[in-house]
Amino acid sequence: MRQEFDKSLTSLKSVFQFVQEFFSRERVDASHRYAVDLAVEELFTNMVKYSPEGTQAIVIQLEKKDQCLEIRLTDFDVESFDPTQAPEVAIHSPIEERTPGGLGLHLLRKLFDTMEYEYIDRRSRIILKKNLEVT
Amino acid sequence: MFAIEKGGNGEFILSGRLDASQSGKAQELLDTVSASQVLDFKDLDYVSSAGLAVLLRTQKRLMSQGDGLKLVNVSKHIFDILRYSGFDQVFQIEQSD
Repeated sequence: MRQEFDKSLTSLKSVFQFVQEFFSRERVDASHRYAVDLAVEELFTNMVKYSPEGTQAIVIQLEKKDQCLEIRLTDFDVESFDPTQAPEVAIHSPIEERTPGGLGLHLLRKLFDTMEYEYIDRRSRIILKKNLEVT
Repeated sequence: MFAIEKGGNGEFILSGRLDASQSGKAQELLDTVSASQVLDFKDLDYVSSAGLAVLLRTQKRLMSQGDGLKLVNVSKHIFDILRYSGFDQVFQIEQSD
């Protein structure tokens, strides 16, 4: 399934509806819903906040192949931002040293098997994969 | 939809989905907390990093004065997210049955 969304946080409601439609159509077990909602929200909001130069719609693609779930988000006419190179979050630091930054990507690394990044002709694409047989 | 209501025992009951579009509303409400506070998550379905940021900012402010948030009735999914974020070390957390 593929859908385009206006590059704005107000699109989040439609993004979550799209995920719900995908789960119904592909009969994906509801236990995976939290991870997929989190993935599309974290990546979508990062594109909205950190790549504001591109004004085209963001494309989200969700696919299930055998027992592998694949999520792709594509942002157009933007500078490169490679989330696979983002630094690890120091989750064991004392609270006075903790900052909220980077937690979204940190969680996606925990919840998904792979995260890939492509940047071609100012098109930025992030691909997450998850084996659905492992909960 | 996300909401915070005051419960009968002084606790705050959070409900719905605490995502990036709702985190401003949550921060505004939690900024009014000035002492230790129980947050009941029994009706909370989802929290993203934007919601975690609100919790962390509030906890840092309260702990600097010797107070803190206690999170109760936390579902398994949300507990996993809190644990992966290291929040089980900085919050008092009680999971739901």
